[in-house]
Amino acid sequence: MTRDVVRALERALGRERVIASAEELIAFEYDATIERGQPQAVVFPDSTEQVSAAVKVAHRYDVPVIPRGAGTGLSGGAVAAVGGVVVALTRMKRVLEVDAVNRLAVVEPGVVNLDLSRAVSPFGLYYAPDPSSQRACTIGGNVAENAGGPHCLALGTTTNHVLGCELVLADGTIAQIGGRSRDVAGYDLTGAFVGSEGTLAIATTITVRLSRLPESTRTLLAIFDTVDDASNAVSSIIASGFVPAALEMMDRNIIRAVEPMLHCGYPLDAEAVLLIEVDGLEESTAEQAEAVAAICRANAARELRLAVEEADRALLWSGRKASISALGHLFPNYYVLDGVVPRTRLPAVLRQTYEIAERYGFAVANVFHAGDGNLHPNLLFDEREPGVTARVLEAGAEIMRACVAAGGSITGEHGVGLEKRDFLSWIFGEDDLRAMAGLKAAFGAGEQYNPCKAFPTHHGCGEVTQAQVQRAAAAVGADLYV
Amino acid sequence: MSDAVATRPVDAFVAAVRAGAAGARILGAGLASFAVDGRAPSVAVFAGSIDDVQACLREAHRRRLAVIPWGAGSHMALGNEPAAYDVALVCTGLQRLVDYQPADMTVTVEAGLPLAELQAMLATERQFVPLDPPGRDVATIGGALAANAQGSLRHTAGTARDWLIGLTVVQADGTLVRSGGRVVKNVAGYDMSKLYIGSLATLGVIVEVTFKLAPRPAASTTLALACDSPHGAAMLLFAARDAGLAVEAAEMLAPAAAAEICGAARWSALVRAAGGASAVGRSVRELRENAAGMQADVREVDAATAWPAWRRRFAGRPVMLGLSVLPSRVADAAEALDGTIENATISCTVSAGVVRAACDATDDAAARAAIAAAREVARQHDGATIVGAAPAAVKRDADVFGPTRNDFPIMRRLKHELDPQRILAPGRFVGRL
Repeated sequence: MTRDVVRALERALGRERVIASAEELIAFEYDATIERGQPQAVVFPDSTEQVSAAVKVAHRYDVPVIPRGAGTGLSGGAVAAVGGVVVALTRMKRVLEVDAVNRLAVVEPGVVNLDLSRAVSPFGLYYAPDPSSQRACTIGGNVAENAGGPHCLALGTTTNHVLGCELVLADGTIAQIGGRSRDVAGYDLTGAFVGSEGTLAIATTITVRLSRLPESTRTLLAIFDTVDDASNAVSSIIASGFVPAALEMMDRNIIRAVEPMLHCGYPLDAEAVLLIEVDGLEESTAEQAEAVAAICRANAARELRLAVEEADRALLWSGRKASISALGHLFPNYYVLDGVVPRTRLPAVLRQTYEIAERYGFAVANVFHAGDGNLHPNLLFDEREPGVTARVLEAGAEIMRACVAAGGSITGEHGVGLEKRDFLSWIFGEDDLRAMAGLKAAFGAGEQYNPCKAFPTHHGCGEVTQAQVQRAAAAVGADLYV
Repeated sequence: MSDAVATRPVDAFVAAVRAGAAGARILGAGLASFAVDGRAPSVAVFAGSIDDVQACLREAHRRRLAVIPWGAGSHMALGNEPAAYDVALVCTGLQRLVDYQPADMTVTVEAGLPLAELQAMLATERQFVPLDPPGRDVATIGGALAANAQGSLRHTAGTARDWLIGLTVVQADGTLVRSGGRVVKNVAGYDMSKLYIGSLATLGVIVEVTFKLAPRPAASTTLALACDSPHGAAMLLFAARDAGLAVEAAEMLAPAAAAEICGAARWSALVRAAGGASAVGRSVRELRENAAGMQADVREVDAATAWPAWRRRFAGRPVMLGLSVLPSRVADAAEALDGTIENATISCTVSAGVVRAACDATDDAAARAAIAAAREVARQHDGATIVGAAPAAVKRDADVFGPTRNDFPIMRRLKHELDPQRILAPGRFVGRL
């Protein structure tokens, strides 16, 4: 069976675009979660037609299709949970068109996020969503997960920046959704497709909005002696009716992991720091930076540092961007969570996070998009300790539950993927999930289209779950980004 | 048994709704004000609660009665002629404020509340939903969303899809379903809420919404820049965009529209600078300088007059047309349109590629001519046209949304999945779904 599928793929795409040997497949068993699953084959199409041809083969043999970008995902979205054909889109990495006047670009799905911003920077433009993995992650993967990033606070996530896509549907049919503007007649299929975690279709070209680089940017580092003061400052900034470009928080364990390595100026004895950025017209940023500073002072910030020059700002940001990978210096393993709460509930939920971790005997390091209420607690552990994995998962689930109890969600930007399918019922009822299944049916995507992702366990994913979740809590590599 | 002896399904429906939806009022006569494209329903149900909406749809679904949901009716001109229409489901009784935490900058409210009332409430906290659909201040939130109505804030704030974070709808069979939530960032589950925006309620009836909110700008100044050509006006607007000026709304008006709304009968840019006082100051200064460089006349106009006048002129007109072209083609398209449609009021959100034309066509022939002209202009500029309003007889000629594309099979299946009996506003949407 496997051999027939591989031969059919080779016939359809050419041998050079198909790999199927065990040693070559190893690299495609993972994403950034170290969930694992071996596909039968990986194909590397160069065009929409080749994607369609590969999908048709999988459809004919009724084997799973798993779309894959750079494999930097944080929820197992690109992992072949029950085998199948991985469609790796990394060779489709052309920027097909840049229309600076109309502020849009048409790209293939394998274009790396930061490469797109670089390609359009000569026009004074950039692509706004900036996941921390932006040096590696692809636009196609960003679309699948509705990726966020520090600067999504003011500008919105991927969904706010995608205008249309060319898709290959589950039976290999090609369709265009959306277009070059928002005013395309019909249901907003683009809106529903973005964030569908590769379970509806494969995007083979993507039309995105571009944004104008701001005239002026100021970055402020605010240093606090307690986490409560820092999170109260976050709430006060949002409540003041002002939306900064970015508003990030790091706690003591993150500072301890990052500072000795990068020397970005986070004091080792601080309990928390906020990284706050404002951008826009020169006149506004000066005013806004002062207003933000005043709020931080009113919330007992012990020190404030302002960076205006590019190099100084980059140094302040370097610690934030390396936060998660630096955790490896503190503990052998860490488990990254991604919850969201209403912003006024941040101080309370953050306290709960520390309490829960302590109760389970874990250290926790918090680095997150505070302005959005999007928490990333990292539970630190050593997998060699017997029974630790189960406890990590339990503690993680309890933290997720606390987010939901506060009126929040189980994922803000990483996706549901393999790992959180069973948490979905905490926020959606059966009727809600049935309506979502209707959307999947409308796209013609059956159980073989990126199976075992995004929704409560399908038939056949049962045994996978336990093993996958176990692995989810295992060690993660140094190239992990949040 | 009583169902069996009832003569018409509608009578049985009325009896069942009377029994099952305590808060609903039912109107069986004088239904002309609920006519859609000249066709009146057999009955109107005024829901007092979400439960009533569910009961009404459950009973209609059981009897395959066609239901068209209503808010205030401000945007009912949009859509193809209904294929069937038995029940008007009026949702203006759904006005409960569910949750408002100003410090979270989110609000959850029932969809029958007029958007203007929500804005007035949010204004006390210096916040707003950046949506300003055309029309008088009666449109309900649900109606504005179902029609995806948008006004001058489109320039900076996008459309409803950029502000809606959670949605509750009642499906055709009466089932209540939710998507999204109350937090500003959320990727759990498919983002179903996007599908209902602009759907004309053909997939479900919007009953409760959660918006993320924006702070109201501290300062605002409206200028009218009168130019000799659409290209001059568009150039001023592109320059403001490229300089990143604090411009919240920017419409380019054709001479006739400019005469009605802001004074001079010339191609004009109506611009609202808004934000912090110093940013507004600089933006106004640069707008004036750029205009002077192009010999455009600049006047500060009364925002409280000009913008409501703009909103009134683009709603409730017998013929309304919406063209979508690339921003770079807007000036050409607007000029071509101005030359071919008589007595049209034309305004363009240049940055979004939106060209609106509204006119008071006196007969069907004039309406047909205006639509044909708009479609031709759109074709020449690689754009598309949506007929926002036209006489019923004219609508019959062709789909008001224009031809369908290769994603239509997905839309047709979606309609089938969510409304298999086709009872929700049948025939009204794209491809007469």
